Amino acid sequence: MSEMTKSIPAENPSSNHQGLSAPSDLGLTPQTMCPAFGSLRVLTRIDGLQTAMVTDAGCLYGLSFVTHFYAGRKSISAPVLGTKELMAGNIAEAAIAACTEAAKTPGTKLVAALSLCVAETAGLTEEMLPAQINGVDVVLIRVPAYAIHTHPEAKDIAINALLKKYVAPARKTDATGVEAPLSREGPDLRHQVILMGEVFPVDPLSVDMVLKKMGASLASNLPSRNLDDYRIAGKVGAIAALHPFYTRSVATLRAAGVPIVSGAPIGADGSYGWIKGIGNALKLDPARVEEVASEEREKCRAIIQANRIEGKVHICGYEGNELGYARLLVEAGAQALYVSTSIEKSLYTAADEAWLKAHGTVEVVYRKTLEQDIRALDKHKPDLVLGTTPLSVEAKLRGIPSMYYTNQLSTRPLFLSAGLAGTISLIKDALSRAPRYAWMREFFTGENDATDALNAKPVINTMD
Amino acid sequence: MTENVPVAPATTPEQAKASAAQIIRDLDTTSGYWAAVWTICCLPDAHVICDAPIGCFNLVGTAVPDYTDAIPHIENLTPSVMREQEVTMLGTAGAVRRAVDGLRAIHPDRQMIVVSTAESEMISSDHGDWLGKLDPPVSFYWSRSLEDDEWVGRDRVLLWLWKNFGQGGVKDQPVLARAVNIIGPTYGCFNSPADLHEIKRLIAGAGGVVNLVYPYEAALKDTPRLSESAVNVVLHREYGDGLAQELGKPFLHAPVGIRETTDFIRELGKLLGAGDQAEAFIEHEKKTTLQPIWDLWRGPQGDWFSTTEFAVVAGRTYADGLVKFLGDELGMKLAFATGHPIKPGEMDNIAVRNFLHKRQPGFVFGSINEKIYLAEAGARATHFIPAGFPIPIVRRALGTPFMGYSGAVYIAQEMVNRFYETVFNYLPIDTVTPAGGGTGGPPGPAAADTGTLIWSDAARAALEARVEGIPWLSRISAMRDARTQVEAYALRQHINQVTPEVVQRAIA
Repeated sequence: MSEMTKSIPAENPSSNHQGLSAPSDLGLTPQTMCPAFGSLRVLTRIDGLQTAMVTDAGCLYGLSFVTHFYAGRKSISAPVLGTKELMAGNIAEAAIAACTEAAKTPGTKLVAALSLCVAETAGLTEEMLPAQINGVDVVLIRVPAYAIHTHPEAKDIAINALLKKYVAPARKTDATGVEAPLSREGPDLRHQVILMGEVFPVDPLSVDMVLKKMGASLASNLPSRNLDDYRIAGKVGAIAALHPFYTRSVATLRAAGVPIVSGAPIGADGSYGWIKGIGNALKLDPARVEEVASEEREKCRAIIQANRIEGKVHICGYEGNELGYARLLVEAGAQALYVSTSIEKSLYTAADEAWLKAHGTVEVVYRKTLEQDIRALDKHKPDLVLGTTPLSVEAKLRGIPSMYYTNQLSTRPLFLSAGLAGTISLIKDALSRAPRYAWMREFFTGENDATDALNAKPVINTMD
Repeated sequence: MTENVPVAPATTPEQAKASAAQIIRDLDTTSGYWAAVWTICCLPDAHVICDAPIGCFNLVGTAVPDYTDAIPHIENLTPSVMREQEVTMLGTAGAVRRAVDGLRAIHPDRQMIVVSTAESEMISSDHGDWLGKLDPPVSFYWSRSLEDDEWVGRDRVLLWLWKNFGQGGVKDQPVLARAVNIIGPTYGCFNSPADLHEIKRLIAGAGGVVNLVYPYEAALKDTPRLSESAVNVVLHREYGDGLAQELGKPFLHAPVGIRETTDFIRELGKLLGAGDQAEAFIEHEKKTTLQPIWDLWRGPQGDWFSTTEFAVVAGRTYADGLVKFLGDELGMKLAFATGHPIKPGEMDNIAVRNFLHKRQPGFVFGSINEKIYLAEAGARATHFIPAGFPIPIVRRALGTPFMGYSGAVYIAQEMVNRFYETVFNYLPIDTVTPAGGGTGGPPGPAAADTGTLIWSDAARAALEARVEGIPWLSRISAMRDARTQVEAYALRQHINQVTPEVVQRAIA
């Protein structure tokens, strides 16, 4: 090598970067996937729905990339939208042209036109789009990232747009105030429940089994692949809004007269309370409901007793369902000193927050930033971090076991007694992997204070 | 409930005008903003503040480079976080200022560069003036995100980096006789670590010494050193020529295929005054790195190339390179090729989609878009080989180049191995466990008992028509399956003369 090559870092750019030092009280980097992706994820998975995106090239490229990968594997139509087209003021024409192309796919029942930052700024509105193009329904979904702050909230916007299109207004009552009977298709929808929220595919089956013990059953799970599931949402006995961010959809359904049950059947207390809530909403036999709820609580407790975990865990996702997950880990023995989420505080987060604060959680942070999550690492020194991608990077850089919350959450059941063992054992297993994280860190960075700290403790799981 | 009665399409003036709008499917090329971030952020002593809503930050900095470059996230990128109030009332200066001040506290040594985005350009957020007056000044880069694509964008930002952080810093730096710079890659360039590795190997073989790999392995403060080289190599034909021309030294494009690679080594050797060394390297390579091509060519595998059809949709370097290597050199049949940036006469994605729905070549090199179109068409006998973004993929191993001699060997090897996969999947098999409750064993007696069946010429033509559009390799087994199906049907129906109608009914 000649001397001129000396100052060249012969490395990939990613290896040049050091981790973030703990900043002061700054919050510079909100944590969320592009909000619009939440809508795309829900919409592109629906059978018979085609997507048209009205936006600039950079946005279109990025959202198509993640949508093709994680969501729909479905071709996406869009107009060319650069300065020339925007200056010409042809935004409505461009949107209509993209919808027309999208509607060409055989079997299309509905075209969702997504209006993103640039289109919103250019002034695309609902009135500019026809309700149908060539006989296919069109729905406008407005999700500019500058106004919708997180991707869970954009899921709510997409579901709500479909509900508004397909759910009938409030049930009619006769002169004496008695509700008119619903049309009955198959089993009585009034004894059925719709779960609202993305869940692991086995969870609805567990829920259905418990409901059947009480004389009720599950109608479907939103977001659904089937448009008909949105059509019956206004007729069921109750909507279980599993996650706290479905505020718009819940408002629409409440206005249609459907009882709403908030919270999710997670952990012993959570499952008990949720079953009771459902029983109440469906006006089921209270004695039977109490019996089923207690039985489920006992089963949960038995599983939790047999699978205790120990350690400080930070739960820092951006999915909007971190609080319920944290409750489960606390019931199983973990300390959840710090819990953060990207959604905002609302009526629907209050119960979980209160429960967590009563069980040792020091901080619950809403609309969090990366910098806040990193400061919490310094403050609480967790043994395990369930984090966003950048937070997990920072944790691993410090030799702390860490996993990307979204991926772990979506790959195993969580609800009722059936969902406990898998989740608890995942966390238990992760906590026991600390020596591996320390070894990797030392190998790649040469830093080893975590190794030293671990050596002081008995090592649970060695590499050999 | 919405009434779902089909109505006659009303033609509004908007709808009439809409037919004139240009429509794209599954965009494959991103914008000038992405180009700026993916170029500047390779330089660890630079920090980009994107004047963006949170989505533009997350996609370019985390969600996509996770899957294009296999990095967890781009660490030296921070958003101004444009919200509704910034868009409608305040403008973004306050948000940008907050990010600048905050980041200076964390990274005092980094050069801050504010980059515009489509949305900031929509609301005309030009921060050049006031950022320049800060102490120390912060640079502002207008990324032309609403006009430029990623290729024009990379070319332009490389030139901007040279003019703002290079040119002025050049002080009596000597030109080093055998020094060679490589211009490219940036983040988001398909397969670039392996290609870069191969090009470095070729440069060394031709007698050169790699000086600066810009921006991928450089720092912002290295930029003036671009002037030190005797020759520059531009890694991708899609971008980088602008900077190479400005630098004023002879430059070469990185090669794909045997002939182009040989020319490249020879030409570079001449430019460096190392002609003999280059020739010796070529001779040595033929007997080492490249020997597998000669062996495969002489072996049975060589015959197969000339009977197999392929298609390419990829960056310009790969699209043109694969056509030259697979088409001109190995003699494969080209179904179609489209490069990015697209040239007049090449198919856009709408045309590619229509093509692949009708007919599927044996090999399709492409992005996730072509993979989707093949899936839509139910193509089972086509090998899809990732060759360009967008697609989630890890290409960080150094042994998978498309460029250079190693690239020629890797591509040929990959294709022959896919061919072996086809052979494995399509050979007739006796299953051990019966499928669908049968008795196991061979697929059925039909073929054995059909010696008495008479096929009319028209029926045979009808059968052949059935397998048209299926790649040759798989046509043997497709033909056998179709024939078995027809004959089994004929036996069941006690038919002893197969006519086109029988074929039609049997394979309905």
